[in-house]
Formats: sequence, C-alpha cells, structure tokens
Amino acid sequence: MSTVNTSKDDVDILIVGAGPGGSVAAYELSRQGFSVVTLEQGFQTDRNTYPGRTPEWELLTRKTWNPNPNIRDNPQDYPVETTESDINPLMFAGVGGSAILFNAQWTPLLPSDFRVRTLDGVADDWPIDYEELLPHLEDVEQLVGVSGFRGTPAHPPRRDFPTPPIEVGELGRRAISGFDKLGWHWWPATNAIASVPHNGLNGCTRTGTCAYGCPEGAKSTTDLTLWPHSLKAGARLVTGARVREIEIDEQGRAIGAIYIDRTGRERRQRAKVVILAANGVGTARLLLLSQSGRYPNGLANSSDLVGRRLMFHPYSAVLGAFDEDLKSWRGPYGQVLESYQFYETDKSRGFVRGAKWGILPNGGPLGVSSIAGAKVFEDNSLDASWGESLHRNVATRLGRCVVVSIIGEDLPFETNRVVLDDKLVDSDGIPAPKIIYKIDENSRKLLRFHEERGAEFLKAAGAVDISVVHQMRDSGWHLLGTAAMGNDPERSVVNRWSQTHDVPNLFIVDGSVFTTSGGVNPTASIMTLSLRAARYIADQRRNLKVA
Amino acid sequence: MTVLSANGISPELRDHFAAIADILVPAYQQLPKASDVGVAGVLLDRVLAVRPDLTEVFLRGLVATLGLSGRDAAEHIFHKDAESFDAISTIAAGGYFLDQRVRDLIGYPGQETIHNEHPYALPGYVADGSLQRVYDRGPLYRPTPGKEVEKHPRLVGGPR
Repeated sequence: MSTVNTSKDDVDILIVGAGPGGSVAAYELSRQGFSVVTLEQGFQTDRNTYPGRTPEWELLTRKTWNPNPNIRDNPQDYPVETTESDINPLMFAGVGGSAILFNAQWTPLLPSDFRVRTLDGVADDWPIDYEELLPHLEDVEQLVGVSGFRGTPAHPPRRDFPTPPIEVGELGRRAISGFDKLGWHWWPATNAIASVPHNGLNGCTRTGTCAYGCPEGAKSTTDLTLWPHSLKAGARLVTGARVREIEIDEQGRAIGAIYIDRTGRERRQRAKVVILAANGVGTARLLLLSQSGRYPNGLANSSDLVGRRLMFHPYSAVLGAFDEDLKSWRGPYGQVLESYQFYETDKSRGFVRGAKWGILPNGGPLGVSSIAGAKVFEDNSLDASWGESLHRNVATRLGRCVVVSIIGEDLPFETNRVVLDDKLVDSDGIPAPKIIYKIDENSRKLLRFHEERGAEFLKAAGAVDISVVHQMRDSGWHLLGTAAMGNDPERSVVNRWSQTHDVPNLFIVDGSVFTTSGGVNPTASIMTLSLRAARYIADQRRNLKVA
Repeated sequence: MTVLSANGISPELRDHFAAIADILVPAYQQLPKASDVGVAGVLLDRVLAVRPDLTEVFLRGLVATLGLSGRDAAEHIFHKDAESFDAISTIAAGGYFLDQRVRDLIGYPGQETIHNEHPYALPGYVADGSLQRVYDRGPLYRPTPGKEVEKHPRLVGGPR
C-alpha cells in the first residue's frame, strides 16, 4: 500500500492521542506558537448522545458506553488480549480520551508517592518531587475547573480550587456521621467536575452518570475545555487516525508517524517533535510496533522496559445499605467525599503503602447487582439474585447505599507487562496488545485491610447490610508505568522531562511514565506532567535535537 | 418453527420469554410480575432497539428451551448457557424497570437534574463544625524528605 503524505509541510509537534495528556500538550504548545497536529483514533463525541438522561441509560452502559473496549467493540477501539491478566484494562477512544468515561475523581499524587524507595524501601523514587509539580498542577486545575474545598490535612497547603465543592447530599451527610464517629479523615471530594460554569463547562446537576459521559457538559473533558482554545490557536486535530508506527531517520530521531484513516488509506505526518499520549497500553503497543534495524526491540526500548512495570490499581469496593432514603442514584459519580485515613504506610498492617477511598453513590435499579457497571453480586443459584431476591435487593439497595471505593497502590513488577499479541489484530490488521498481569501479595493484604476498615466505617455510619467486592476484575481504569520515568537510562524509558532517553525528540505524556502508581486516580497527575513536559519543550525549542 | 414474524420476534417466543421473565421478576408485594407490564411486548422491542447486540444470544436461549416451563427453562439457561442467561435477564429486568408504574412503586424517578441555586453557600459540614474537627486533627500526609509538614493557615469558614 502506498503511503500518502498528509501535509505539504512538516509541523513542529505531532501528538498521538487526544486524551487528557495529549490535549494538554496540544493546548500549551499551540498557544505558545508551535504548529501542532494531533492524531486521534476515535472521534468527537456529541454529549447529546450520552445516555444519562434516557430511561434506558443502564442498558446502554453495558454495551455502547461500557469502558471495556472488548465489550464495546467499536471499530475505532482496538481489542486487548486479557486471558493472562487478573484485571481487564478499560479505556475509550475519542477526543477527550478515556476521560469521556472516567469518574472524574481529581486526586493528585501526594508527596510520599514520589519517594517510596526512600520512605518505604520498595520500588523506585521518582526523579521529581511533589513540590516541583505543584505550580503546574495548580495551573491545570484552573483549566479543568476542579471543584473542591481547600484545606484538607491530607495534602500540603495549596491554592484554592476554581469552583466550589459539589453538594454532598443525604448520602454524604450519612457518610460524614460515620467518619465523625470514628474520628477518621474525610473531606468534601475534589472532582474534575465544575460545580458552576467554568471554561466551557456547565455547572454540575448531579445526574449521577459521570462514568458514561456527562449529558450536562459539567464533567471536565478536554473536548469541552481545551480543544476549543487549541483549535483557535491553530492546532489541527485529525480524528479517525490510527497510528501504526513512529518513523525515525538515520540518526534514530523521530520524524513523524504513519497512520491509517477511516477510509483505510495509509498516511504520513512528519514533525520535528513527536509526543505520545495513547495511554499506558496504547503507547507501549505503539513503541513495540515501531521496530527498525536501529531499534529491533521497539522504539525507545534500549532498557527493555517498554511495556513492563504495568500498574492498574487493584480495586475493591464495600457497599453499605441503610434503612433510610439517601437518593443514592444522585451524583456526583465522581466522588462525594474522600478519605486518606489509611493512605500512608503503617508497616504494622503487614503491607506497605495504602489506598484512597472515594465515597460514591450506586446508580439505578439495574445497578443493584453491580459496582461501577460491573456485575459483582451474581451467585451459583438462580434464586440468589433473581425472583423475589431481585425485588428484595432493589428494596434494600436502590437509593439507600453508600459505596466505599478503594483505590490501592499497585507496586511495579517487570513481569506485569504489555506485549504484542501474536494472533489478535485490530480492525486495520495491526497487532493488538496483550496484557500479562498478576496481583501481588502486598496488594491482596492491602485490599483486605481496607475492606475491613471500609466495613467498620459503614457500620459506624449505620449501615444495616454490608457487602464486600474483593478485587474487581473490570477495574483497569488506570493504565500506568509501561514507559517509566527515571534518571538512569538502563532503568527507565523517559527522563524527568518525559523525554525518552533513546530518542531526544520523542516525549511521552500519558500514564505510561508513572514511576510508581500512588494510590490515587491518576488523571490529575497525567495532565500535570504533560503540562510540565510541554513547557519544557517550549523552553528548549532552540536546544532540542530534532530530525 | 417461526422465530421472527413480520413484526419481529414470533408470538410463540414472546410467550415463552414472558414465562421465563415471570420467574426472574415475579409479582412481589405491590409490584407486578414482568409479563403484567409487557416485558415480552412493547418493552422487549424497546430494549432490543437500544441493545440489538443481545438479540442473537437472547433468541438462542429461548429456542433451546421452547416447550419447557418458565421455571425449567430459566434453570436450564442459567446453568447451561451463561451468555444467553445474561441477555435474557438483562432484557427482562431492563424492560421491567423502564415501566413507569414499576418506577413509581420502587420510588425511582430516573436520573435527576438538580440545579444548585446557591453553589457558594457555606456547606452544612462547615456550619456544624464537623469539617473543623477533621482540620483540627492536623496533617496526615508524609512530606517529601527534607521538607516540614505544613498545615493550611485556617479552614475557610472556620474560626479565625
């Protein structure tokens, strides 16, 4: 097949992926005067198509708006081989990226997350620290329109959030009573959801379907917040563009990408600098696909760490049913409250590191057998979930539940990895990624401890029935670590500026670069690291070794 | 056997589905059984209109158990064909909870749209002192090595 050059001129910056990381880089660099092209394999999504305001919304979340690409099975999704993984990776292809279907919990990494080797003797320290990232984080939050309440003792002091906290409702008040009784930390949650109109977003109306696209346009996704500015600044966004290879020149520098458009035609886009933002699975896949005589093991992979150290955040949930109408189908979903009571290491617990809790609602009547859309309360007997049991579950749980969502730190292991599958291909015939991932003993102990504490909290709050969902399989929202950041080129893929050690004009700005995972939802840190990397590229425009 | 009629799924299969659906969603207290609200009629069409992907496996379970009672068919599909059972139960419950009478009885108005008229009002947890108690217990985080633990100067809305 002949490859068509897409533009007469090379551009300064080529970005692969229009999710949170890629969008921030496109925003910053286009506004600083660079010519920018972004290739996105998915499309722009019309928020009027999100299901939250239709009576059929729960049916649609199980297929059309399911975060698992293997279930959703759109042509723009690539399949993922998961038979050797304990967790299914979740993602979405489109402008705004997987954030279109994220819960929008805005939880930046904490100071200790960057120093786990020094503080806890495990994994690796990051080559940067919390203080270095904070100014970039605070700038990102203004763009995102984060809602929250300043002053949590779980974080160092910092600038206020651009929009006030979302109302906690009856569910939040009930949860606060439990935390208060135990003297445990809680705080009104920070969410990437504007509570009042802000930067292209409307104020949250608590529809409660955040994880399936926000019909109100209040959840912060970059299709709404950043792309209007970037396009106005001259950035070009090409949708339906599936990249199959990053090309290099004879010096080994990146010169652009080959992609396939939705007519099936192969095209080439050249650029001086290439930035990958295709998530922790997609970026590793693309680097491994970009093999050449110079880079026989894949691009930027002299360390053999591309695809390795995959981290997901093993996930458990504890669900408490109350003898009281809490209207627990209302949002944010999102998180209503957050707790860092057991976030930091206490070695007497028998494991290291910890987890953040999000306090969540539980959705509509079909959701009484689910957590976050994944069926978890099925049984071996028909009558356990169906017949009168269904009615009893609805009577007990609909509108009456508080969910403790446990995001636990996942330590990096080189055996947990993304590789290219030797059989499965996407709709363009490109090899699909395969996930090899096993949960370790530290994570198991961590989750058990937190499940017990979660149940203790719910009991204190007055729950009459408590259910534990241990290590849910459909919970791979966070795709991290497969191109780790570090100072040593033999022990990492990118340096402290998210620049690959091997290819000086190739950068990575998604969750791949996480040295360790922390125990928090990663989007805040992905966007912050991307902004910092983009500013570095702009500052170094005269010094970067480009093709 | 006719699986699809001119209007879609045959009356015979609709009747069979209704019998299975009544096992999965029986009458309970004030709540009607599935067939009473039309899960095998207009609601079946409505569900399949948004979930056409379910049609094939849904029909597979029904065809395989035609002639069995609703109970026996439900048990058979539950134990022998998990994928088909998932489709049948999703369609049965999904259709049932679309019915307005059922929604009224279970107290579910659907996902609501709630505009906050006073987004900047001081939250109740500040006014009643409960957030202040969390703040007063002090910092929880471990600082970057070499840095001191710091506390926010004061809680917004709290005592000065």
